[in-house]
Amino acid sequence: MMSRFNHLPTLKIDTSDKIPFTYRGKTYYGTKGDTVATALYANGVRIYARSLKYHRPRGLYSMDGECSNTMMEINGTPNVRTETTLLKPGMVIKEQNVKGSAKNDMLGFLDKMDWAMPAGFYYDTMHKPAKIWPVAMKQIRKAAGIGKLSPDHHMPGKYDEIYPTCDVCVIGGGPAGMKAALAAAEKGLRVILIENRPWLGGHFDYRTTEYVNRQTHHDRAVQLAKEVENTDNIRVFTHTANVGTYNNNLITGFQVGTEKDSFTERYIEIRANSVVVATGCIERPLLFENNERPGVMQAGCALRLANTYGLLPGKTGVFSIGHDLGLEAAVALHDLGMTIPMIADIRQDGQDPSLVKALADRKIPLQRGWVAIEVHGKKQVQKVTLKSVDGAVGKTVDCDVLVASAGFTPLTGPLVVNQAKQKYDPHTNFFLPTDLPRKMHAAGRLLGFENSRTIEASGHLAGIQAAYDCESCSIADLGEAKKAMESLPGPARGTKLVMAPVKGRKTFICFDEDTSIKNIKQSIDKGFDVPELIKRFSGAGLGPGQAGIPGHNLPLFTARYQALPDIKIRPTTVRPPLVPTLIATYAGTNHTMLKRTPIDDLQRKDGGIFRNIGVWQRARYFSRDFTAKKEIENVRNNVGMLDGSTLGKFRIHGPDALNALQRVYVSDLSKIKEGRVKYTAMCNDDGCVIDDGVVIKLGENDYYFSTSTGRAGQTIEWIRYHTRYDNWDFSLVNLTDAMGVINLSGPNARKVLEKVVDIDVSNEGFGFSEYKEFLVADTIPVKAMRLGFVGELSYELHVSASYMKALWLMLWEAGKEFKIQNFGVEAQNVLRMEKCHVILGQESEQRTNLLDIGMGFLWARKKTGYKTVGVAALAQAQQDNTRLKLVGFKMENNGRAPRDGALIVDDRIRGHVCTARNSFSLNEAVGMALVEGDMSQVGTRLAFYEDECNGELIYGTVVETPFYDPSGQRMKM
Amino acid sequence: MALTITCPICGKRNGYEFRYGGEEKGPRPDEKDLTPESWCDYVHMNKCVAGVQQEWWFHRDGCGSWFTIFRDTTTNLEKETPEAQE
Amino acid sequence: MKDIKRYSPVEFKVTPLKIENRDHWDVVLEYHNEGDGPWLVDLCHRPRLDLQTGHLNVKKPFGITIPAIPGQSVLEKGFLINRMNRIQSSIYHLGGDAVEIPNETEYTDVTEATVFLAIIGAPVFAICEKLSSLDFRDKTRETPFLLQGPFSHVPCQIVTLSRDGEKSGMVLTCSRGYAKDMVDAIVHAGEEFGLKPAGEKRFSDWIDSL
Repeated sequence: MMSRFNHLPTLKIDTSDKIPFTYRGKTYYGTKGDTVATALYANGVRIYARSLKYHRPRGLYSMDGECSNTMMEINGTPNVRTETTLLKPGMVIKEQNVKGSAKNDMLGFLDKMDWAMPAGFYYDTMHKPAKIWPVAMKQIRKAAGIGKLSPDHHMPGKYDEIYPTCDVCVIGGGPAGMKAALAAAEKGLRVILIENRPWLGGHFDYRTTEYVNRQTHHDRAVQLAKEVENTDNIRVFTHTANVGTYNNNLITGFQVGTEKDSFTERYIEIRANSVVVATGCIERPLLFENNERPGVMQAGCALRLANTYGLLPGKTGVFSIGHDLGLEAAVALHDLGMTIPMIADIRQDGQDPSLVKALADRKIPLQRGWVAIEVHGKKQVQKVTLKSVDGAVGKTVDCDVLVASAGFTPLTGPLVVNQAKQKYDPHTNFFLPTDLPRKMHAAGRLLGFENSRTIEASGHLAGIQAAYDCESCSIADLGEAKKAMESLPGPARGTKLVMAPVKGRKTFICFDEDTSIKNIKQSIDKGFDVPELIKRFSGAGLGPGQAGIPGHNLPLFTARYQALPDIKIRPTTVRPPLVPTLIATYAGTNHTMLKRTPIDDLQRKDGGIFRNIGVWQRARYFSRDFTAKKEIENVRNNVGMLDGSTLGKFRIHGPDALNALQRVYVSDLSKIKEGRVKYTAMCNDDGCVIDDGVVIKLGENDYYFSTSTGRAGQTIEWIRYHTRYDNWDFSLVNLTDAMGVINLSGPNARKVLEKVVDIDVSNEGFGFSEYKEFLVADTIPVKAMRLGFVGELSYELHVSASYMKALWLMLWEAGKEFKIQNFGVEAQNVLRMEKCHVILGQESEQRTNLLDIGMGFLWARKKTGYKTVGVAALAQAQQDNTRLKLVGFKMENNGRAPRDGALIVDDRIRGHVCTARNSFSLNEAVGMALVEGDMSQVGTRLAFYEDECNGELIYGTVVETPFYDPSGQRMKM
Repeated sequence: MALTITCPICGKRNGYEFRYGGEEKGPRPDEKDLTPESWCDYVHMNKCVAGVQQEWWFHRDGCGSWFTIFRDTTTNLEKETPEAQE
Repeated sequence: MKDIKRYSPVEFKVTPLKIENRDHWDVVLEYHNEGDGPWLVDLCHRPRLDLQTGHLNVKKPFGITIPAIPGQSVLEKGFLINRMNRIQSSIYHLGGDAVEIPNETEYTDVTEATVFLAIIGAPVFAICEKLSSLDFRDKTRETPFLLQGPFSHVPCQIVTLSRDGEKSGMVLTCSRGYAKDMVDAIVHAGEEFGLKPAGEKRFSDWIDSL
């Protein structure tokens, strides 16, 4: 294990606290604060994985998870970004995409086969002949790819979600972001600050150079972070990656939990009035041969390895950089003990003089206008060849680390996914965000600022702009913040794309997809000449790093290769998620939210087998016999009870209550009498039937009505919609959940009921289609109706939900001597089908109108003046005899029933089966079907085609309906 | 997910709390002299503008009001102050 | 008949300590080990009314003036009256003796239509944040105020009664059928904060303290 620094102020590790983990079957130790990647690095691991296509060795490169180089399998979860994942005790870490080990991969020879795999080779070679593809696919999948997910893998951990609201959301907890948060908070606003790393500070945090007045950048970061944490109205979420930004400033992030948190990861969905994006920059990779060989790393990575994690990246480090952070890193690493034989700086001039002096003081040779052109070493960096940019002079230097960085790339993702544009800026060499979305502001390094005070001032300005959006500060505040910027240095000059002349066969522009410069040239030569096309043809930027590595190099290189005079080319489109994310975190807690009836527990105790029906859980069967034979026979011969509580129930009252009902129901409801039940239906504007139910008049302009279970949630919306221009005064109250419904049915129903209630329930006292209100045992209020949905003597009792259990048990007790039993939804379905009573949605579909299902009798044709919904269309449809009609049918030769949904065919499709069952009451198979009009006459032979019937049709005949008790005596007895 | 609708009763809320009720087309035509064609036009024909349109929304998960807003169909953002119905 | 029982759709998995029989309800006044808060209280037995008319301005339920602006609530004489929209108010009877429901057609007894819960204690908004994007911490609203919107994906009426530290709390109603799943969701969300079921006494004391 490497020795680690433990005296640096910038460290985030505690070397006294050792954490054991397993890697390749052996136990190793990291320290508290380590990421998985740094713990492995501390234990001498340099090759973390093999690349997707060529199985090239890959190592630590950026430290923020921008590429798949260091993705590994942790505790069975593949593709974990080890650079951003904190080490936890007992982690089991495995390498991915290797045959053997990452160090000795038996598929390493593929690297030499690149000539056989040019850009787009799948498209070019694998399609002819077509049958080779399945074979080739299997082999390619074995060799290529990154992590493997076991189908049995269960994501460990707890996943949660929160939905906070704020005035201002700041994305990025560096100096600019913290200043923005402080500025907005000072104006009294609720601020949320989210930061990708586990701590605030951004690029100040790991730097020990002077900020202002001898204060180091690190100390400044600590100072700002304290201020932020001490401000009550700033809420900080650290270790929280921003994954998306959307219209109207909806910001989403994924937070990694700490030991103290109750969650492993959680989804955060923030609705903000105004947003500041201060995400800073990543480094733009330098392009040269073998530019991703383990040992090659970016300047920030090398510096953070030392300053944050106490690890010297190597013994001897050569630098090939294009910005001052590279020089700063060289000075810092030299002082920590690294030998630096040479620094190649792409820039001819423009270096910070104090850094140049520091290098001179340390006798570190600085070569201006030089750049690395090739790294040597089979598996790790052994030496590097550097040349002057014009290629005139060169030198090869031994080293074990090459710090390589071309410049910076602004992290504009949060702005761009929310529709900001990007424009190339020659001064910074950045694609800068323009046309920012409403109430969204950018600040800090991503605008090209490098001066520390400018960065902070731009953060402050953005915070004030956000406060202005929230109407919490004056225009003078805004002017002041803008003025503060003017006296400070503007954006720094950026380094252009510089490459020494190489063929680019092993110069990788995208690590995840093993896309080389040569591949990009091949794509362009084939006519795929803009980044969006190159991406799809060559794969550059398609990998899990979300184009973090090729990001801006791809458009810059594309423009350069085609010698475009003006860079109009744009980077490829960025889409959420901005960082790779766990689906488990998206899933969150995922509570099931379903409704239960007031006697749900009784129904379960009685052996009910439940199904989710719309928003409800209902007992569909009461035995494993899914034909429900016993339940059906008991209702036909004896008495049964059904929990019908899911039925929609409403009260409508007020001066215009009748008007509203007349608008939506096809019947004339002005004619209902109190004490009677009126069955009616609602249609939509096309005359298609959408709902049926009963209406009861409680008093003048006061009605109680029922709807089908599935429509209850939309009834108020529907009635209000169709009356929205009328200014009618009526009130609607949804009583669906307020009332339980007991359906007591069967020839013995009266005998049961009369034992429980005090009213006269004889056929004379309580006849068919009548309505009564009474108290049971002087206590339980009941609304009772005599209906006949199942075709037997039947009482529907609507009872206050809290009393339902009591009433149900009273009836159950009373019914014991008659062997009362439960019946479920399936039994009811068969019982009513035998009576040819329709269930909308089963006997009707979206195009079925009231007339098609034979319910035209409900339509009061003489009712005018109410603009009743659907009647205009019904009047038109009356003339149309091409429509489907609902018919009843019996199966031939005692055959079985066709399945619901089976097609009715001759030489084409002529209709379909709605519901069909083998009827126990009739001893034959019957059903209802929607068929074309000319097939609806009694006696027509129907041929049924079922799924997977292999052409074997079954046959039935259209018959008179209903099948059971055609005269309706049984329900009226 | 990101759509917001400003309900005149409840204020700005997530779009998924609402049901869309179509373009504003004025009240239902009179029953008298109504032809199938004119009826069909009212029910089914829409302007489908690429730009700002007045449209109906129902606050299904909230106060239960129907109201209209003005929305730019190209950006999915609301314009001006919506007017309340109820 | 005194052996007829009314059942709340809410059943906590804890043992009641004190029960009072009230209008056929078994009202739990106190549970074992209620802890120091936050608390979840079942109020399903407390009467709720819907008042709906085009002339809401002339109505004075129980002598109380209905708030003029939708979203506003008033807590007076043990009644919480919430203005829902132009034509509708909800009335919750939170404290005091049984009341006569006004015998006017504009009123509908909706006690049975909803599950009625109270969440009390300092972390109440941290719990709610896990279940809803509704902004309970909106500083432009003065307590008590009504929010109508999704809570754990179910449309709810939620009245925030206090945002004052330990006294923070709210009452919530949604369709009665969701009772079990709603309680499960709240209990699960509140677990990390130590949320425990509490009896009606805890609620009454809290209301009295407001």
